[in-house]
Amino acid sequence: MTRVIEVPAHFDDRSFDQFAAGFGAWPQEEKLLVDARAAQWASPYGLIGMLTAGQAIAEAKGERPLFTVPTSDEVKRYWARVGFFRHAADLFELHGRVPKAAATGPSDVLLDVTPVRAMEDVHQVVEKISETASRILHGELGLERNATMRFSMALSESCQNIVEHAGTSGWVAVQVYTFRRRLGRRVAVIAVSDAGIGFRRSLESTHAKRFGERWGDGAALEAALIQGVSRFRDPGRGQGLAGIKGFLDRWKGKISIRSGSARLSIVPAWDDDLPLADHLPFFPGAQVQITIPAQEAESR
Amino acid sequence: MIETIQIGHLLRETAAFPYRNLVTRPTGAAVRNRIEDTLSRSDCLTALLDFSDVELLDFSCAEEIVAKLLLAQASHRPRFVVLRGLREDQHDAIEQVLTHHHLAVAALITDGEPMVLGWVSPDARVAFACVCRLGRACTGDLADALGWPEPRASEALEALTLHRLVRPEGNLRYPLLVA
Repeated sequence: MTRVIEVPAHFDDRSFDQFAAGFGAWPQEEKLLVDARAAQWASPYGLIGMLTAGQAIAEAKGERPLFTVPTSDEVKRYWARVGFFRHAADLFELHGRVPKAAATGPSDVLLDVTPVRAMEDVHQVVEKISETASRILHGELGLERNATMRFSMALSESCQNIVEHAGTSGWVAVQVYTFRRRLGRRVAVIAVSDAGIGFRRSLESTHAKRFGERWGDGAALEAALIQGVSRFRDPGRGQGLAGIKGFLDRWKGKISIRSGSARLSIVPAWDDDLPLADHLPFFPGAQVQITIPAQEAESR
Repeated sequence: MIETIQIGHLLRETAAFPYRNLVTRPTGAAVRNRIEDTLSRSDCLTALLDFSDVELLDFSCAEEIVAKLLLAQASHRPRFVVLRGLREDQHDAIEQVLTHHHLAVAALITDGEPMVLGWVSPDARVAFACVCRLGRACTGDLADALGWPEPRASEALEALTLHRLVRPEGNLRYPLLVA
């Protein structure tokens, strides 16, 4: 039997749970087919979420899943240009014609889909993004001039979390697009995902006891994002997320972290997401989305 | 004596590639080790860490370089530490990590007045600026200059001394460096 997992037509952080629900129990025992034929658009969060699923299956020694590429030529071209298919080919058996990636990515992509395997990759990501971020963050989104540095700091800390906590590698992508339904403005989105052990297992040995019966994916996310705890005994740890929260407060941005079966968000006024969503369909590792909206004219 | 250390230079010597950005804990720890190595061979009383050729400084590196260096200095041979060439976003990172540890450091801001980054009382910040402006001060000088009662001035100077933000000589307190 082959289990078919449909990729949502509009695949972002909101429709991610629908994608996660398609997998049922982990680890997978059935052959999987990830069906993206009907996909019309995917955010960076959606794109690296699909790669994370493929990675998790590969690392669990599962059978290599099938992947049917989008029918839409425009969607296929875009996914190729941001580097999705280049990495997907290593994790899935691709079905359907995949266009060659253009030499340069789309102008709204700050960072192609990029693997994060080691600290050296974090350096590369930060060096790469600093070349283009200023034009978009200041020029297009109206953030203050030195916002590029703060944005890069948020990116660096998010990627380091993969290397330090996941126990495996992960993915990052950064893109600018328009939040039509939720905000009606342009946003810069940092998406980071890994197929690792997740927040609950990472923090369990040092923090579970304190939470007692409340301990679970949601409590672990709360401990990390709200209380700033870390699995390391070093008292200086856990400040990366605290720093990111400070920037987002200034920019009226949003951070959302999904791990296991929970998602915790710091929700700005423009969004109606739940601060804590629990009992979600399980998905391996952790997925982070940082959303920074274009600043309103009066705040510029 | 002052030992000036160019952090950007150390970064390029430490990393495998010519990076301009101080990011990741291992990089920060490697740079801190180089700083400590330099200081261990120096008789200087003051270490001046110059960040002017560094682009980005993330929270992890701020913690590994500045906070851990201050913690180590406190437990080994105490030195005065001053930061120079910092931009606003770099202040943010250093301010946050030092506040977390209840530490503080003096910083010379490009085209600006010397300032304190980290965890000190509002009175101690005002006293720090006053000592820098006066060039040296005892409790009475500070109390006169700020219109404070002497116990309040004394407490502020004591806090600056404990955090090694001013250099004590008898009853007088001196700025670590002049901008």
